[in-house]
Amino acid sequence: MVFTVSFYLALSICFFGVFLRMAGWARTEFDPQDSVGSLVRRLSGIFTGSLRILSSRRIVWIAAALIRDVFLQIPLLRAGFFRWLAHMCIFYGFVLLVMMHALGSIITAFFFPDYASTLDPFMMLRNLFGAMVLFGILVAALGRMRRNRFFRATSRSDRLVMFLLALVIVSGFLLESVQIVSAPIFDQMVDDYMGTDDTEIRDPLKAYWAKEFYVVFSEQPSSQDLETGQTLHEENCAACHSRPGSAFLSFSLSRLVGPWALWLNRVRADIWLWYIHFGICFVALALLPFTKFFHLISVPLNLMARAGVGLSSHPGTPDDITRLALEMDACTHCGVCSLHCSVAPIFRIIPNTNILPSEKLMSVTQLAHGKQLDATHLEAVSEGSFICTECFRCTERCPSGISLQTLWRKGKQTLIDRDYPDPHGWVRQLTTDQWADRLDRCRDNKPLCDTFNRYRHAAQDPNTFSACIQCSICTNVCPVVAAADGMMPPEVTPQQVMNLLRLNLKELALGSRMVWDCVTCYLCQEHCPQGIRVTDILYDLRNIAVERLQPVRRPSSRVHPDGCKTDDPHGKNRNEVS
Amino acid sequence: MIVAENCIHCDLLVIGAGLAGSAAALFAANRGISTVLIGRTGNLQFTSGLLDLLAGYPVEDANDFSQSPWESVARLTADIPMHPFALIDPPEIRQAFTEFLAFLSEVGLDYYVETERNIRIVTSLGTLKTTYALPTSMRHNATALKEKQPCLLIDFEGLKGYSACQIRETLTRSWPGLRSARVAVGSGREYYPQPLADELENPSVQTDLVKAIRQHLRGEAFIGLPAVLGLSAASNVRQALEKQLGLPVFEIPMLPPSLPGLRMKEVLEKHLSGRKGVKTLFQQEVLEANRTEDQTFICHAGPGEPMVTIEARGIILASGRFFGKGLHATRKGIRETLFNLPVKQPESRSLWHHEDLLHPQGHPINLAGLETDKHFRPLGNDGQPVYRNLFAAGTILAHHDWMRMKCGGGLALSTAFGAVNAFLKMRSTSSN
Repeated sequence: MVFTVSFYLALSICFFGVFLRMAGWARTEFDPQDSVGSLVRRLSGIFTGSLRILSSRRIVWIAAALIRDVFLQIPLLRAGFFRWLAHMCIFYGFVLLVMMHALGSIITAFFFPDYASTLDPFMMLRNLFGAMVLFGILVAALGRMRRNRFFRATSRSDRLVMFLLALVIVSGFLLESVQIVSAPIFDQMVDDYMGTDDTEIRDPLKAYWAKEFYVVFSEQPSSQDLETGQTLHEENCAACHSRPGSAFLSFSLSRLVGPWALWLNRVRADIWLWYIHFGICFVALALLPFTKFFHLISVPLNLMARAGVGLSSHPGTPDDITRLALEMDACTHCGVCSLHCSVAPIFRIIPNTNILPSEKLMSVTQLAHGKQLDATHLEAVSEGSFICTECFRCTERCPSGISLQTLWRKGKQTLIDRDYPDPHGWVRQLTTDQWADRLDRCRDNKPLCDTFNRYRHAAQDPNTFSACIQCSICTNVCPVVAAADGMMPPEVTPQQVMNLLRLNLKELALGSRMVWDCVTCYLCQEHCPQGIRVTDILYDLRNIAVERLQPVRRPSSRVHPDGCKTDDPHGKNRNEVS
Repeated sequence: MIVAENCIHCDLLVIGAGLAGSAAALFAANRGISTVLIGRTGNLQFTSGLLDLLAGYPVEDANDFSQSPWESVARLTADIPMHPFALIDPPEIRQAFTEFLAFLSEVGLDYYVETERNIRIVTSLGTLKTTYALPTSMRHNATALKEKQPCLLIDFEGLKGYSACQIRETLTRSWPGLRSARVAVGSGREYYPQPLADELENPSVQTDLVKAIRQHLRGEAFIGLPAVLGLSAASNVRQALEKQLGLPVFEIPMLPPSLPGLRMKEVLEKHLSGRKGVKTLFQQEVLEANRTEDQTFICHAGPGEPMVTIEARGIILASGRFFGKGLHATRKGIRETLFNLPVKQPESRSLWHHEDLLHPQGHPINLAGLETDKHFRPLGNDGQPVYRNLFAAGTILAHHDWMRMKCGGGLALSTAFGAVNAFLKMRSTSSN
């Protein structure tokens, strides 16, 4: 009764959750202003789109993806052999356990009419599959511990999932080992299948089972007639029971718990463990849609959807956004992207986890679902997002086939819409004069952070620029100066930036378009007759600018010690300026 | 310790890629000497593009345009026997010019020379400049000035450091036929010479310019424009304008850095690099120079850090004076930066300059530099050559004030020529 009720409860929670997640795909919109269509329209879009693809020739590709990416998990193999080994062990071990053991009475019994869970090879295989899962978890955990030294790419959700999985398997093994030594189960089975209370008849069987099947009885059977016991066993039990030794892991475990077997039998530990085992299984089942377990559904769907859509996807259409939502759900937080990310090394200098693609994706997902993030979080996401160079390596490497590149672009656009653009974006919202003015009003006496001085010295050290003779060659060769149209020439040219440095008026240069429009072509630096590292200095100024201007960027968001306020507390004039 | 993986062997290492160094590399290559040329070319942009020989001597008579430059050279060397021109025969100076200008012509940068006489042209300040070799784009500048023909001077809206009106105002008394006008090109924003030159290479911009100029023409015979008519040496911007306007067009040299210097820099960079026998290491510098027992120089070089080792049987030091960083002035005196060679200089810092900034005699510091023997070998404190295979050329030499004497081009070419010949002579005697 408890079993049935809790099973159906867990199953319905699971189905409901899966439905919620899938409905979430149809509700995701990066930009509320995009007309992405109604929920019904998008749900029907999924349906018709899938039908159209499935009825086209692309179904061959989908089948190929199913075999290559889902069954053989080749993308994971590319990410590393041990990753693949761990995942194959867990995946196949668990799937086979579910089919052969959990659904044994339905699936296995259908194929093998004389199936019994205690019969070989089923008993041995069950142990084998369990061992595979445990082994896989062990390898995966070791791999994560190793990688965690570089990136903190293991979250609480990852640990929860691994822990639940391990608990299911360990409780199963414990249950089986306790069942092996259980005298009460023996008694009940004899009651059920021999239908006699006669100890004369039962005792030889008891003796036989105590010896051959390692059941631990509280009182020794009176008869030691093993021959009779064996005959009785073959008549009544052998059809359903193989020797416990083939349950190699559980059996070893039962030998270990042997000394406490009597006590375990008395408290009916087998019943308790049975409740615990299926309880955990049902908890895991109910949690499936809400944890990383969901990737069991989302990743194969995504891999097949990708194969189905191929290159014919139309960016920006409602169906495409639906698919992007599915992709975001397909992340298993495996961290492969972060391992291959071109800019991940920056994380060691700037400890912002949003630089790592595996972590940034969570923030971008929140953005896509329209969540209101606080300013600090948004700033961190913005920094991480715009450090990304869109080099495509994460997308190429993702074992779940997520087109991360597209998501990063969408994320960047969303950040711009929410007024958290990249430094190029926000610095240009004000003119050089306005920035200098703001810095002046909000003079922050705190010296520049020492840790950063290590990485930039060109613009700090007078020796780098004092040799400038203002000959204007840098300005002459500068393509940015040459390309500036009449509307918006740089307020200062490279040689004038050098002069500002010489006059110790660095603040005036920080927000200048020359500094921010520089394309780092190094023409100025190469042509400078004085050998001044002009480009390096301009680049340096950007780094300083980000650090110095960021705090005064939002006048209303921060009140300085001297209580300064600017003329434009709500930033109303910002757009007029840019 | 300096470690460099790449090693280059050569006969001659020329240190300094200014006019003297480039010319030395060219002359050496023409004589079949395997040469490495190393140095920054940036300073070439500061050359006016004109090649002076000697504007006149004594300097106070420089405005006496009737003098033959060769007579001036003779008077100069008689008066100042230590002047670098005294180390070389006048025919060799002619040869140096001929050889260098032939090279420039070969690579598309034509010059106009009147051989026996100097040429005088109008500058962007309205002053007159006496020179010896003139880029052909400025040839009509001399013609128009000489004949005082009616001439329309054009300047561009937004172009810095150039005003046609200023030239006209300065010269109008002696040249009443001058008129000036301002035209707008492109968006009419603030222009620096190089971007403007780039833009003028566009035929549609040329057509617009011709239209704009026509509106101002009142029957003038010449049209003078700032020296921004195209960047590349072989540029035919001027020819295109002449064809469309049906009038001779000339360039007026501007304040450096300007296009004629840049064109010189571009052709030298491009065509010396491609020349047989020359290896160029532009924008790199010799960081350390040592000499082995068999008199070979071992130089470590690179762009700021050692990346290449050069083994050379001889060196021509053409690293220039202060701007070229061949000499370095400190509070205690002036030193040579690479070999720490003795520098001829005023005895104390207080004697570097006259009190009068525009003193007609110039400032003593402008005569500072290396003294050499007649084979261009820098002398040590004992009056003997420091190394028998180290030569010097160009402005780093002592006893000349090229800016005041207007002899920069001639000095660079002739001393480079002399130094290369001295190296050849040294090599032939040592191999005998």
